[in-house]
Amino acid sequence: MLKATKKRFDIKITQANSTVSDTFELDKNIVKVHGVLVTSDKDDLLYYRGTQKIEINKEEFFPENYESKLLMSGINVAPKQRYYDLGGVAPGNGRVQITYKDLDDGRTRFEPYRVSLYLDCEMEDEL
Amino acid sequence: MMKEGVIITKINIKRQGERKHFQIKLPNDTKHIIGIEYGGRLVSKADTKAVEAIPKAAVQSEVVTTEATYPMAEYVEVKERGKTFFKRNQLVGELKLQSSEESNWFYAADVLLNDSNIGLGDFSQSGFPVNDFTHGNKRTEEIVKVDAESTIVQGWYLDAIGKTQKTDINYEVTIYVWINVEE
Repeated sequence: MLKATKKRFDIKITQANSTVSDTFELDKNIVKVHGVLVTSDKDDLLYYRGTQKIEINKEEFFPENYESKLLMSGINVAPKQRYYDLGGVAPGNGRVQITYKDLDDGRTRFEPYRVSLYLDCEMEDEL
Repeated sequence: MMKEGVIITKINIKRQGERKHFQIKLPNDTKHIIGIEYGGRLVSKADTKAVEAIPKAAVQSEVVTTEATYPMAEYVEVKERGKTFFKRNQLVGELKLQSSEESNWFYAADVLLNDSNIGLGDFSQSGFPVNDFTHGNKRTEEIVKVDAESTIVQGWYLDAIGKTQKTDINYEVTIYVWINVEE
């Protein structure tokens, strides 16, 4: 039986104008990735300063310099509609890579912050 | 099999009223342009003599109490000063795109700063300020359908914010062209 599950992966941005890359592994029983969402503990920094590249199974879904604000949803958006729809991607080897770039914007002052990548997945029930 | 992809183009604006012509090169295997969206980033502001042209909402009410001699009752007059007005969204510039296949622009948009009225109607005073990055809507591309056989898109951008504020503002406008590619 298939069931919906959400996965969250975090990266820390500790230096202004830096690039942070990390690779995460999805559970083996995940069969599809339906959506993607990015959030932060300091939303304004993510909104104004952030760009990222996202790859799933070495396939690039969002290229370098794709702004984070385009993948964010505020609390005014219904919870079921917050994820950016990828249309049910097969995870392949299950490796998800995010390369996040922080870039000074002129409207924000840098502080260390966290970037969270959420994935809306469908997994096979183990039972 | 068709696959989606996005081509990102950045244009840098430095002077007030600057007009820029640019080209977006698409991959050779592009079949259609299916969507356009834009974003931006402030690089620096050269001069701060201009004042932000964003009107502030002012609501003030005054309660005046006068005492009558007979009968003993209180007359309360409430005067309301000012109204909460819609604020004008700040126009950053104008963006237009043209395909080499067909005449006329296939995309034209006013590039706007944040939604200035996003907090209108929030009477909660809850200490959770309404901002685009907390209360904003989900962004999606604007859907277009244009043949892309010549793989070149002509673009045109005209600065407005620098002209309005009479100062040189250095900023980047990022244009995302979503395409359909045959695998």
